[in-house]
Amino acid sequence: MSEQGDAREEDALIEEVAGAFRPTDPRHLAALPAWHDLSPAGREEAFERSQVLRAMEAALDPEGYSSTVRAILRRIEDA
Amino acid sequence: MSPDLDVHLAGIRSGDAQAFGAWLAGAEPSLRRGLRSFARQVDVEAVLQEALLRTWQVVPRFESDGRPNGLVRLAQRIAWNLSVSEVRRQKRQPTTDPELLEAGLDASQRYEPNLPDPLLRETIERCRDKLPPQPKRALELRLEGEGRVPDATLAERIGMRKNTFLQNMSRARKLLQECLERAGVDLREALS
Repeated sequence: MSEQGDAREEDALIEEVAGAFRPTDPRHLAALPAWHDLSPAGREEAFERSQVLRAMEAALDPEGYSSTVRAILRRIEDA
Repeated sequence: MSPDLDVHLAGIRSGDAQAFGAWLAGAEPSLRRGLRSFARQVDVEAVLQEALLRTWQVVPRFESDGRPNGLVRLAQRIAWNLSVSEVRRQKRQPTTDPELLEAGLDASQRYEPNLPDPLLRETIERCRDKLPPQPKRALELRLEGEGRVPDATLAERIGMRKNTFLQNMSRARKLLQECLERAGVDLREALS
C-alpha cells in the first residue's frame, strides 16, 4: 500500500478507536481490536480525538450525555 | 466554587440510574483526562467504561470521607488500578516513568467539573447544521448508536463500507472543530 494509503488506513483506525463503542466480555477488559493495530502515536491521537468527540457528543445531547455515558447507562439497564 | 458531584450519591445509592447519569456527565471528562499517561499502553475508553461500571457496582459499600467528590476520587483509583493491571496482564513494563505516572494520578485528582455550556451547545448545533450530508449522517448514526453499536453495523445501515463511514466521521469531526474554532471555541485547547 502507498504511504498515502497507509496514512488513510491509520486515520480510519484512529477514528474507530476514538468512538465509544467497545465490545463487552465478562472474562476480561474488552479493548477494541482496532486499538491493537494502532501505532503508539496513533493511540495517543485516538485518545485526544476521543476527548474532543465526547465533548461534542455531550454538547449535542439534550441531557448532556456523551456516548460513553449513554453506553454505561445502557449496560446498567441491561444487567 | 467547584460543585460537589456527591450531591448525586443518595440517588445513586438507591439505584437511580439517572442520578448516576448526572454524576457521569460531570465526572467523565476529568476521569478520562487522568488516564492520558496510559494512552499508549491501554485502550483508555475500555478501561474508563469498565471503571465506571465497577464504580456503580461498589457504590452501595462506598463511605464518604467527608471531602467533596469522594465518588470521583474512588472512580479515579479504580480506573488507575485497572490500567496498571492491564499493563501487567499484557506482560509489558510501563514505558512511562513511574514519577510521571504518579504525577498523572496527582493531576487526575485535581477534579475539574464539567459544567453545561449553553453557548457551546448553541454553537455546535449551528455547526452541525452546516455539515455536508454524508459526514452529518455518519455523526447522527454514531450519536444514535449510543456507544453500543459497532461502526461496521452503523455503516451497513446506510450502505457504506466501514472505511468510508470512518472517513465521513473523521470529516464531520474536523469540520465541527474548524467551525467551532471560527466561533472562538478551541476544544482541544480547552480539554488539554
